[in-house]
Amino acid sequence: MKAFKYLSPKTIEEAIAFHGQHSETAKYMGGGTDVIVKVKEGWMEPDFLISLKKIKGLCELHKNDATGELSIGAMVTHATLEKSLMIQNEYPIIYDAVSNIGSLQVRNVGTIGGNLINAVPSADGAIPLIALDGVALLHGPDGERSVEVKDLFIEPYKTILKPGELLKKITIPPPAPHTGSAYIKFGRRAAMELPLIGIGVLLTLEDDLKTCAKARICLGVAAPTPMRAFDAEKFLAGKEINEEILIEAGKIAADESKVRDSVRGKAWHRKEMIRVHVRRMGLKCIEIIKNNR
Amino acid sequence: MNNLNPDTNREFSVVGKRIPKLDAAQKAMGRAEYIQDIKLPGMLFGKILYSKHAHADIVKIDTSKARALAGVHAVLTGEDVPKKMKMGFYKDNPPIKKGKVCSFRDEVAAVAAISPEIAKKALDLIEIEYEELPGIFDPEKAMEKDSPLVHEYHKSNVLNLPWKLHYGDVEKAEKESDFVVEEKFTTQWVTHCCLGTSGAIALFDSNDNLTIHTNTQIPSLAQKDFLESLKAMGLVNKRVRVIKPIIGGGFGSKLDTYAYEHISILLAYACRKPVKIMFDRVEEFKATSTRQPTVIYIKQGCDKNGKLTFRDMRMVLDNGAYTSWGATTPSVMMMPITSLYRVDNVRFNAKCVYTNNTYSQAMRGYGNPQATFAIESTLDMLAEKAGIGRVDIRRINRNQPGDITPQGFKITSCGISECIDEVEKEFAIDGPKEKGIGTGIASLIHVGGGARIYKSDGCGAILKMDDYGKVDIFTGGTDMGQGLDNITAQIVAEELGLYVEDINVVHTDTDVCPWDVGAHASRSTFVAGNAALGAAKKVKETILEYGSKFLDADPEDLVLRDRAIFVSGDPEKSMPIDKLLRKAHFSPQGKMLMADFFYDPDNENMGKEFKGNMSVTYAFGAHGVKVKVDEETGKVQVLDYVAAHDVGRAINPLLLEGQVYGGVVMGLGYALTEEVVTRNGQNMNANFRDYKLFTAKDAIKIKAPVVETYDEYGPFGAKGIGEPGCVPTAPAIANAIYDAVGVRIFDLPITPEKVLAALKEKKSATTEI
Repeated sequence: MKAFKYLSPKTIEEAIAFHGQHSETAKYMGGGTDVIVKVKEGWMEPDFLISLKKIKGLCELHKNDATGELSIGAMVTHATLEKSLMIQNEYPIIYDAVSNIGSLQVRNVGTIGGNLINAVPSADGAIPLIALDGVALLHGPDGERSVEVKDLFIEPYKTILKPGELLKKITIPPPAPHTGSAYIKFGRRAAMELPLIGIGVLLTLEDDLKTCAKARICLGVAAPTPMRAFDAEKFLAGKEINEEILIEAGKIAADESKVRDSVRGKAWHRKEMIRVHVRRMGLKCIEIIKNNR
Repeated sequence: MNNLNPDTNREFSVVGKRIPKLDAAQKAMGRAEYIQDIKLPGMLFGKILYSKHAHADIVKIDTSKARALAGVHAVLTGEDVPKKMKMGFYKDNPPIKKGKVCSFRDEVAAVAAISPEIAKKALDLIEIEYEELPGIFDPEKAMEKDSPLVHEYHKSNVLNLPWKLHYGDVEKAEKESDFVVEEKFTTQWVTHCCLGTSGAIALFDSNDNLTIHTNTQIPSLAQKDFLESLKAMGLVNKRVRVIKPIIGGGFGSKLDTYAYEHISILLAYACRKPVKIMFDRVEEFKATSTRQPTVIYIKQGCDKNGKLTFRDMRMVLDNGAYTSWGATTPSVMMMPITSLYRVDNVRFNAKCVYTNNTYSQAMRGYGNPQATFAIESTLDMLAEKAGIGRVDIRRINRNQPGDITPQGFKITSCGISECIDEVEKEFAIDGPKEKGIGTGIASLIHVGGGARIYKSDGCGAILKMDDYGKVDIFTGGTDMGQGLDNITAQIVAEELGLYVEDINVVHTDTDVCPWDVGAHASRSTFVAGNAALGAAKKVKETILEYGSKFLDADPEDLVLRDRAIFVSGDPEKSMPIDKLLRKAHFSPQGKMLMADFFYDPDNENMGKEFKGNMSVTYAFGAHGVKVKVDEETGKVQVLDYVAAHDVGRAINPLLLEGQVYGGVVMGLGYALTEEVVTRNGQNMNANFRDYKLFTAKDAIKIKAPVVETYDEYGPFGAKGIGEPGCVPTAPAIANAIYDAVGVRIFDLPITPEKVLAALKEKKSATTEI
C-alpha cells in the first residue's frame, strides 16, 4: 500500500481548500469502506486523503416538520439510517437498502454519501434515493449546485462531480400520501454481498387507493449506472394497480434493463429476477400503503 | 452395541467435558503469534512473480532492472532452481518454472528485498517475453488424441496412476438388477479459505542447516521434502528444523509443501539471511490448491426389495498443470464407493488428466464429498424408481458392526442406524409435503481410526512431569485450530488425575517433537490421542509404583484424581501428586517421571486391487436437511439441519460440535454457493466478495446429535470427526431440493440459476406433453 497523508478538515471550505492545494493527488474520503480498500489494493494511489468525518453538519439526518422534506447529510452512516425509526416507518425503501449493505461493521463506518460517490452499478444506497426523487446538493470551489440523484452517475466509478467538488447532502421531497416503497437486494448470501440485481419500487396511489398516481422502478446492476425503468413506470402511471399489472410492469422493466452476463450472474437470470421482484416489491408497496391508511 | 471397551462405564473427570479451547482467549485478544507476526533479525521479504498466461513458452526473461533496484538482495528465475528440486509425489512441479508456463499460477521469478514494497517493485521490473500456446481447460477434451500436451515430456495428458478396481461382477449384477439408475455428476473447484493466509520464513545457520517457520499440517513429511530440496541444492547431510507458528486453519491445504516454501529456502540460501514470504488474500486464492474437481459417471442398481446389487463409477479428474494430493483423492473416493452401504459388486475407474488449470490438493473429506454426492443422489433416484422410501433404502442397505466390506474394511463399531434415527427424530423424511419445502437425507462413511496411506500411520509422544505436578507433552500431532491441544491435554489429564491446565502441549517444533505422518484423515484424536494416552499410561504405572510404596497400598487399589493419589475405600490414605513427584525426585537414586510412546495403528496399506483395512475403525453419520425453494427465483433456503455422527466417544463435546458445525457450513458452501470461477484457466473471483463463502449471517442453526458407540481401539473409545461434517451435505441438499420442487441438480454448486433453469425445463416439458 502506498503511504498517504491523512487530512481532517473541520469545515467544507477547509476541505475544498485542501483539495485545491493538492488537486490531482488528493481524494475525499467518507467512511473509507471503499476508498481504503482501493488504496490497499493499489487501484488508487492518492498522496492525501481528505476525511470529511470532522465536518459538522455533514452527519445530520433531519426531517423538516414544516415542509416534510428529509435531509440526509452525506456523512450519515448506513447504521444511522438503519436504526432511525423515522426511516424505518416513513422511508422503508431506504431501510431495506441500507440494512443489507456489507456487514454491521461496514454499516457502522460506511456513509450514504460515499456509497453514492463511489458510483458502482451495484450501489444499494443509490436505488432508494433515486426512487424517492432525491436531490444531491454539491459544494465545490465555485459554490453550491443541486442535481437529481438519478443524474449523478456517468459510468462505473464516475460521477458528474467536478474536481474539488463534494457531496454535502441529499434532500428528499415530502412523500405524497398513499405512498409505499420497497427494495430488495437479490444476492447469493445474507451479508458481505453485492446485489446480483437490486430492485426498488415506489408507488403512490390516488385517493381511491387503486389508481397509480406515480411509479418509480429503479434498478441496480441492470446497467453501467443505477437506472430507472421509465417504460415500466409510464406503463403503471394512471393504471389500476393489481398483480397482473405489476407482472406486466416487471416484464417491461426486465426488457428495458441492460443486464449482462458476468462472473457473478447470468443476464437471463437477472432479467427473471427483475420480472419477479418488480411484482413482489410492488405488492409490498400496496401492502405498506394499506397498512398505513 | 459392542461395549468391548472397559472404559465405557467409567466415570470421567476431564474426558467428555465441554472444555473451551485452551488458546481461545489468547486468539480472541490478538495475542496468538501467527506467521504474519513473526519477525527475525535481518529478515528480508520475498515475493513471487506469476505467469501472465495459462500456457506459453518463455522466450526471454530480463531481470537486470530488478537486480539493479536498491534494496534488492536476490532475483531468481527457473534457471536458478536445481534440476532435481521438484514438488509433489509425481515430481512434476519445480518451484520456479523454466522455459514454459503451464498455468496462471506458475511461478516464473522470485525476489528478496529489504521491504515488501521494494520486492513488489522489483517484480514489476522483471521483463518477460512469452509466446502463447493453445491451452486445454477441459479434462475430457484433454484426453482426446489431438489435444495439446500440457507437458510434452509426459507424452500424454493422462497421468500414470492406478485408480481402478472391480470387486464381484458388476456386469452380471446389473443384468440381474430390477432397477438401475445411471447419471452424470460434476463438482467444482472450491478452496479452503483459511483465515490465516500462507507464509514461510526460511533461514540457514552458519553451517547450512535450515530452519523454516511455516504453516504446515505435516511437519515431519515437510521436513523430508525440505531435506530433498537441500540435497538437490547440493547441501547433503544437513539438518532441517520445521517450526510451526499458530496456524489459522488447515482443512487439508497444508498437507503438501508449496512453491513459496521452497522459494523461501532458495532465497534465504542465496542471500544468507532469513527470507519471509507472506501471501496476501489474492495470492491465497490463486496460488494455493483447491479441492479436486470431478466429472462422475455412476450407475447403481437394486433388486425389487431395495437391496443394492451393484455400483459402477467412472471419473475424470481435472489434475491441473501439476500434481499434488488432489490426484490421489480417488484412493479415498474408493471408501464410500465400495463401502457406504452393503454392496457386493463394485467397479471404479478414475483418470487424472493434465490441463492448464490450477492443481488440486487435499481438502477436508479428501474426495469423499465428491463421490458421496453422486452415490447419495442416485440412491434417492433408485429409491423412487423402486418405489421404496428414502429412509427405508438406507436402512435396508446399512453397514453393520462385524461387516467386512468388498474392499476389506473391517467395520468394528457402526452407528449409522442410530444416526438415521436421530435424523428421523428431527423431522420425517418421508412424511407429508408442504409446497416448496422438502427434506433430504444422506449418509457417510469415513476413516475414523487413522488411515494408512503412507508407510507409517504413526505418531510419537514424549511426556515429562516436573516437581509441581505439571506435565509437558511433546507430540507429533498438529493443532491447526481444530483443537488437538485440548484433546491431548484432556486425555493426559484424565489418565493422570490432573486438570487440563496442568498439561502443556508442545507440537510446534520438529527439533523437540517426535514424528507424525500429519494432521489428515481425521486421525489426530485417534492416533495422536492414543500416542499421548500410551505415554500417560507408562508414567501412570510409575506413579502407582511410588504411590504403593509411599501409601503402603496395593497398586490396584490406587486411584488418581484431583491432583492426588488415593487408596480406594480408604480416603484417609492419600497424597498430592506434586508431593509424590518431589518425594520420588529428591531421594537417593531419585527419579523424574518421563515416558515416550509411539503409536502406529494396526491398519493396513491398501494392497492388490486396493484391498486392505485402511483404518482401524470407521466413522459413520447421517445428515438430514429441510429446505425451502423459491420457485420463481431458484433460491434455496436451508430451514433446518441435523448432522448425526457416530463418534465413538466425544472427548470434548464442545469442540466436537464445533467440528461438525464447521464441516456442515463448509459443506453447505460446497453445495450452494462456493466455486472458484475460471475463464481459460484464469481465476476470476480471487476475493471474498465474489467467492461466496458462507458468512456468519448465512450460517444456520445445526443440530449435531452424537452417537457414542465406544470404539474398542479409540482413546477412551473415540473415533475421528474432523472431516465427516462436510461429506454428505451436498447430496442431502440436492435430495431435499428434489423433494421440494421435483428437480434434481447434478452439478455443484446448486445456484439459483441452475435451479430456476431446471424448473423452467421441467415446466416446458410438462406443457409439451
